[in-house]
Amino acid sequence: MNIVTVAKIVCDDQDIQIASDRTLDYSKARPTVSTYDLNAIEAGSLVAAEKGATHIVVSAGTPSIDDTKNNKNILARGVDSLTLIMNDDYADLDAKATAEALAPTVKDLAADVVICGDGSADIYAQQVDVQLAEALGLPVVTAVSKISFEGSALVAERILEAEKEVVEIALPAVVSVVPDIALPRICGMRDIMQAGKKPVTKIDGATVVRGAEVMETLAPEPAPRKKMLFDAGTDGDIDKFVAAVAEAIR
Amino acid sequence: MIDFSITDEQELMLENLREFVARECPEEKIKKWYNQRYIDEDVRKAYLDAGFGYMFVPEEYGGVSSDAVTLALVVTELIKSAKATMPFMSYGLAMFDMSEFASPELMAVAMKYYEETGEQAYSLALSEPCAGSDNQGMTTTAHWNGDGTVTLNGTKTMVSLAETAPFMLVIAKDEDPARENKNMSMWIIDPKQEGVTLAPLHKIGQQITNFSEVYLDNVVIPETALLGERGKGFLQLMKNFELERIMLASHSLGLAKAALEEAAAYAGQRMAFGKTLGSFQLIQQKLTDMEIAVQTMESLLLKTAWEFDQGMSVRLDSALAKRYISMQSTWVCSEALQIMGGIGYTTESCVGRLWIDARGSQFGGGTDEIMVHIAGRQIIKKYARN
Repeated sequence: MNIVTVAKIVCDDQDIQIASDRTLDYSKARPTVSTYDLNAIEAGSLVAAEKGATHIVVSAGTPSIDDTKNNKNILARGVDSLTLIMNDDYADLDAKATAEALAPTVKDLAADVVICGDGSADIYAQQVDVQLAEALGLPVVTAVSKISFEGSALVAERILEAEKEVVEIALPAVVSVVPDIALPRICGMRDIMQAGKKPVTKIDGATVVRGAEVMETLAPEPAPRKKMLFDAGTDGDIDKFVAAVAEAIR
Repeated sequence: MIDFSITDEQELMLENLREFVARECPEEKIKKWYNQRYIDEDVRKAYLDAGFGYMFVPEEYGGVSSDAVTLALVVTELIKSAKATMPFMSYGLAMFDMSEFASPELMAVAMKYYEETGEQAYSLALSEPCAGSDNQGMTTTAHWNGDGTVTLNGTKTMVSLAETAPFMLVIAKDEDPARENKNMSMWIIDPKQEGVTLAPLHKIGQQITNFSEVYLDNVVIPETALLGERGKGFLQLMKNFELERIMLASHSLGLAKAALEEAAAYAGQRMAFGKTLGSFQLIQQKLTDMEIAVQTMESLLLKTAWEFDQGMSVRLDSALAKRYISMQSTWVCSEALQIMGGIGYTTESCVGRLWIDARGSQFGGGTDEIMVHIAGRQIIKKYARN
């Protein structure tokens, strides 16, 4: 069985500088795995360990995603190999174009289960899972909080607003998982030491068609502080606080 | 050429260590551990399972090969992130020491215990009420009974982890307690056996590591409890003192870094007289001198660890590092306390704990003065004119 987890590699937001004109400077930001995709990778590793399957992580982006430390960070998490699909034109891809970039490789890897994270740390569109399923011609189940197997089918638990839904889906399939599915592991010392010895496959990504172009990315206008103080010990201040918050976000 | 650039692997280890501390060592747990005098087993195990506890252990016993620079980075980061003394490094160092003088069978027993509990497998009973730095003043004796047994008598003090470790290593003079007798042997005993009595000692800092007096009253053990060579027990122990000094200096540096970070963050936020504390030049000067001290401490520590890794002698530099970094750490923590004012002097802030723990490191593993005793002779040799 092959488990393929699709992960986005983004700039570490802690290192992004905001210039006075609100433009973002990524030059000092190192690549890192998009936060919720770490949970997806963990889920993939747990499923792979349970089923004795091979776990491959696939990512698509500009050549900047090929960072030795980040590669080792991924490979130290119970992952057998990493495939990077790279193209200079892959900056700011929309979800459909991302799916188009990923699909041929994921297909070649003969994945039985394709796992996607909840949404990316930068744009959080929550669309790559369904777009990738469409591109691969596979069924998809979203918002999965637990994965198990029944014979040759995958059983997915989905947490909905007021209920838990259990879905059985034939393989191969795409599942996107909520962060609660698995807490990313503390990477063990041995795993870190061995990560550098695991294979990283680098593929030249084909040109993809963009559905949308990013025209501009700016930080929000800094809002002046309200400087309003409320004392929880004073009668009525909590109501005043709630009213002030409601007014501010209206 | 010295190169302190951090490798991918070291960076990942430190990131994962920070994540471990964030998940497993919140402040309320640390306070609990200081009160109960030990770390909970689940956290000790988690530290071991993540592999950090295997760093000192030789590979043939399942350990992970590590250099001294990596060990120094890990210990410093652990203490800095936890903002407290974390004795894990002593656990692994103990296994490393044991592998030097214990039989493979005993090492296997100790490793089994270590892996099951994450706890240090043995305590070390070395100091005595009248023999601390002056170890030759030791009066605990081992008497060979001639029937395959040995009897131990004496009093040990300041024994770390005696309450929780399943074994105890005792250094005792062979037969004669006289000062002139330099033959000391090392024995492994069960601290629960007849004739052994523990009495807790209460430290003012670093309480996370329990501390005891140990009374040995006609403790009969088999001759086979001898570790290493008869009469060479203290020399065996000395072999790893230099690495221990590097690790103790790392511990002190971690405390200083935590205190500096706390004080600087506080100075950047705390308002006084209508502006932040950090706007005042008196505070800026303190922070500047603290930063100089921390950077200097770190440079000396990493240089010494690097020399150790190159197989160079660190008899001088490990003593310099232990003395300088222990003392400077206390000073940095004290300045942090001064910047934080009244709140720093309460248990609401971790800075008081850092300060009092740093002070303790000026005794443990060799006092500041003993480091002069070691370094001074080396400096005379270093600059001797033929």
